[in-house]
Amino acid sequence: MKLHEFVVRRLLLLIPVMIGVAVFTFAVAQIIPGDPAALQCGDKCGLIVGYTEEGEPITAHQANRERLKLDDPVSIQFERYITDLVNGDWGESQKNGRPVLDIIKTSAPVTLEMAFFSLMIAYPLGIFLGIISAVRQDRMFDHVSRFFAIAFVSLPIFWFAMLLQLYFATGPEVGGICDPIFGTEGGCFPIFDRHDQSYTYPIEGYHWFYPEAGTGFHLVDSWFVTDAKLAELPSEFDTNRELFMDTLTHLVLPCSALGIASSGSLLRYMRASLLEVLHEDYVRTARAKGLSEFRVVVVHACRNAMVPIVTILGFSIGGAIGGAVLTESVFGIHGMGTVAVLGILQLEYQIVMGVTLLTSVIFLLSNLIVDIAYAIVDPRVRLE
Amino acid sequence: MREWEEGRKDREESRKRLLESLAMSIGNIGRGWKIYRRSLLAVLGLVMVLSVSLVAIFADEIAVQHPYRNLTDTEDKWSNNPDQQESPPFSEECSLRAQKITTNPNSPLFSETVVAESGNKVRESIALGYYTDVLSVTEIIKIESISPPGYDQDMSLITVDPNNSSIFVLSPELYGNSSYYAGVWITYLYENDEMSHWWMPEGYDTCIFGTNKEGHDVFSKVVYGARVSLTIGITVATLTVTIGTIVGSISGYYGGRVDEVIMRICDVFFAIPGLILAMAFVAAMRSVSSLTLPVWLGVLLPVLMLAYFLNAHLSTTILSGDNKVSDQAMGMLMKNRSLLVSVLAFLFFVGWLPAIAWSDFFGVSHSRGWRLTSSLVVIALLAAIILADRKFVQKNSMDGALERLSSSFDWTNPWRYLNFRTVVVFLSMAILFKLSGNEGSEIILIKDFDKLWQVQFALIFTGWPGYARLIRGQVLYVKEMAFVEAAKSVGAPPSRIMFRHILPNAWAPLLVAFTLDIGGTILSASGLSFLGLGAAPYTAEWGLMISESRVAFQRAPHMMLYPGLAIAITVLGFNLLGDGIRDVVDPKNRR
Repeated sequence: MKLHEFVVRRLLLLIPVMIGVAVFTFAVAQIIPGDPAALQCGDKCGLIVGYTEEGEPITAHQANRERLKLDDPVSIQFERYITDLVNGDWGESQKNGRPVLDIIKTSAPVTLEMAFFSLMIAYPLGIFLGIISAVRQDRMFDHVSRFFAIAFVSLPIFWFAMLLQLYFATGPEVGGICDPIFGTEGGCFPIFDRHDQSYTYPIEGYHWFYPEAGTGFHLVDSWFVTDAKLAELPSEFDTNRELFMDTLTHLVLPCSALGIASSGSLLRYMRASLLEVLHEDYVRTARAKGLSEFRVVVVHACRNAMVPIVTILGFSIGGAIGGAVLTESVFGIHGMGTVAVLGILQLEYQIVMGVTLLTSVIFLLSNLIVDIAYAIVDPRVRLE
Repeated sequence: MREWEEGRKDREESRKRLLESLAMSIGNIGRGWKIYRRSLLAVLGLVMVLSVSLVAIFADEIAVQHPYRNLTDTEDKWSNNPDQQESPPFSEECSLRAQKITTNPNSPLFSETVVAESGNKVRESIALGYYTDVLSVTEIIKIESISPPGYDQDMSLITVDPNNSSIFVLSPELYGNSSYYAGVWITYLYENDEMSHWWMPEGYDTCIFGTNKEGHDVFSKVVYGARVSLTIGITVATLTVTIGTIVGSISGYYGGRVDEVIMRICDVFFAIPGLILAMAFVAAMRSVSSLTLPVWLGVLLPVLMLAYFLNAHLSTTILSGDNKVSDQAMGMLMKNRSLLVSVLAFLFFVGWLPAIAWSDFFGVSHSRGWRLTSSLVVIALLAAIILADRKFVQKNSMDGALERLSSSFDWTNPWRYLNFRTVVVFLSMAILFKLSGNEGSEIILIKDFDKLWQVQFALIFTGWPGYARLIRGQVLYVKEMAFVEAAKSVGAPPSRIMFRHILPNAWAPLLVAFTLDIGGTILSASGLSFLGLGAAPYTAEWGLMISESRVAFQRAPHMMLYPGLAIAITVLGFNLLGDGIRDVVDPKNRR
């Protein structure tokens, strides 16, 4: 099979899954209790807003049901849902009427940023420790690192994040360990939120820089804040660089929590994969040629052992998004997870649908990219 | 009909076989244990799991009854006690009490001696009223006037009776002085004999982990939390394994279009990150208060299950011909399946089917009329389908069916029926019986479908596709082996091949996944509770306890430290146990 055939086939396979996900989100929204029409009018549902042709009064509740077309059969509602999705209308928040797509546009980059940096921590850490663990198989280091790998997988991530907050983001009177060592005040890293507390949020749900640059990624946006805006800020943020560093330091703790937690499983994969490769003939050949052990492991063995690790990348992104829900909640970050949890607690089913759909799209696309990359690296995959 | 004595030989034979297989499995376990104990970590994991399980089983014995804890609190529901503030571990404050003393001689409540007693505690039920514990005072800390509040008074105003440490004696200047007319607060340290605990060292009866904001003893809550978490973990893992095994083996065994459909459904589940999927399910189940089945389903499901399992048996006894019951019914259905599908599609698109509310669809309806009609219609439909097949009636004679049936059951040899399948069936029946109730024309499967059950069901819904895929792979692998071919060639039915030949050879990775999944489930459930989507407020659930501690975790980290540690230890234990079992079932390690 040629590469482009493989790609087309993978793309076609995505279609039924995407339809399935849409059916699923729609079904969940149908089952979620609570009347969206009643939610929107709140305590004014009994208010009479007009009269029918026969002179019967129409309440606000009825008008809402009419407007949202909730009385249609489910099949017609589903058809409308799909066409709206394709046309880019993902519904709107029932509380304040903000379009769901807009809410997601500001919150999804926050989560993606976090997931990306956590993987940037998890992959080097997991791979490095995995290599050492495999090279020193059944020695002390191996046992210890394997124990820690399992321990990190077993830690509840929200608890781990809170421990990080407790020890690295507080002063010594609470239990922080940073201040005596590094001479900082109130911990090494900020404890909460995505940037300094002295910023204000001009519009609910938008972060401070968003209207300036509009990518939604805080790190990117912080570079493009105009000087006029910068002048409004407290004196410690005079340049874009300081703003950038501030947003970056706010990422350290959440991403470490996520990254360390997911490095455990990567370590185990890397170790197993490398152990398998180390028994291959070409490794023996390399050793027989008299290459240094370092060169054998790093150049000859690792490159092949890394291939399966890359395939997990797709799943890791899904896992990181799932974990980000909990970490966001601990650190008070307005990402997709927070939006989803609030959506469920406030019965905003449109938001829940939107977030579920978007996370699955991200997950599927990342898996697709990884698979294609894998097919390029390892042509054997294409033959199946 | 055979006599009891006649079956003796068979009985002994079956018993011998049973004992042999028992001895064999004990031998297997012994061999497995030898491999298992090679790894120190695995043994450590087993110890962790065993100790957590013991704590969960004996939670009532181990948990300390906290002075502020209301006796109506059960293992997973704790009341709100707004007056009490959290106190750190090992603090004296846990045995500190402020009691109001009336000093106005004109008051009907006035007395010169006052008994030191605990606050009101509710008896087993609120109808039985309240009671108080008599406390023995060890030290008076301070005496404050009530109005004006907060002024410390002379400590000599109230003394403890030297003969009885639980009685305060009021000095005459206290009740003779009109400035104290509103009474005083007396704060004192006490010991409560009612709460002394057999395993606690002297003086540490309460508060080894401190108390939380509501004044609940964190230690007791952590202990009871073991019960909640293990219940969730084991229930969810068992049910997901069951569902996943059934679906996966069907998918793997039949292959083709069935496989394709099931795997696409699994893909949908895999496409959404687990926690977000579980959150959506929890949201969807919010209004379900009890899990009920309409009568027709409640009757039909067990009957269908039994018919499926006893298919071969029944078709040779009840029917004289060699046509199987299910073949007949399925044949009928299969022949007309295009018709059925088109009728269903028609109904769906015309919009008649959607007019049935979703809640009715899942059998949670409360309308009596709907229940009755649907039951009747479904049973009538099924009966009609089977009976309408004239060939079925013509070909098979029912004469002498009862005789054949009774002769096929060997009542003189009960040992013969003591196998894994019957044990599982009886066990699940007993568990269902314990959970279920009966209300009018509905069969209630789970009476109290509380938030914990919602979490469990959400995790079951999200968990089964993983197992289905795992089992499917195993089945595909085992299916090609020679012994399956042999079983097929002697005419064994699919169910027998699946449960007798394929699954016993595919259980090893399943066992490992099961063990690891218990830990994973406990983690996810606590995560959901942490987000506020899981256990109800004040439940002794570890994730919820951590969530509740968030408001003050910098000031009082003990509130989140111990529950988190408990989760970590439990999950770590199950993960290590799973790894150990993986080593045991790994063919490389069998010698």
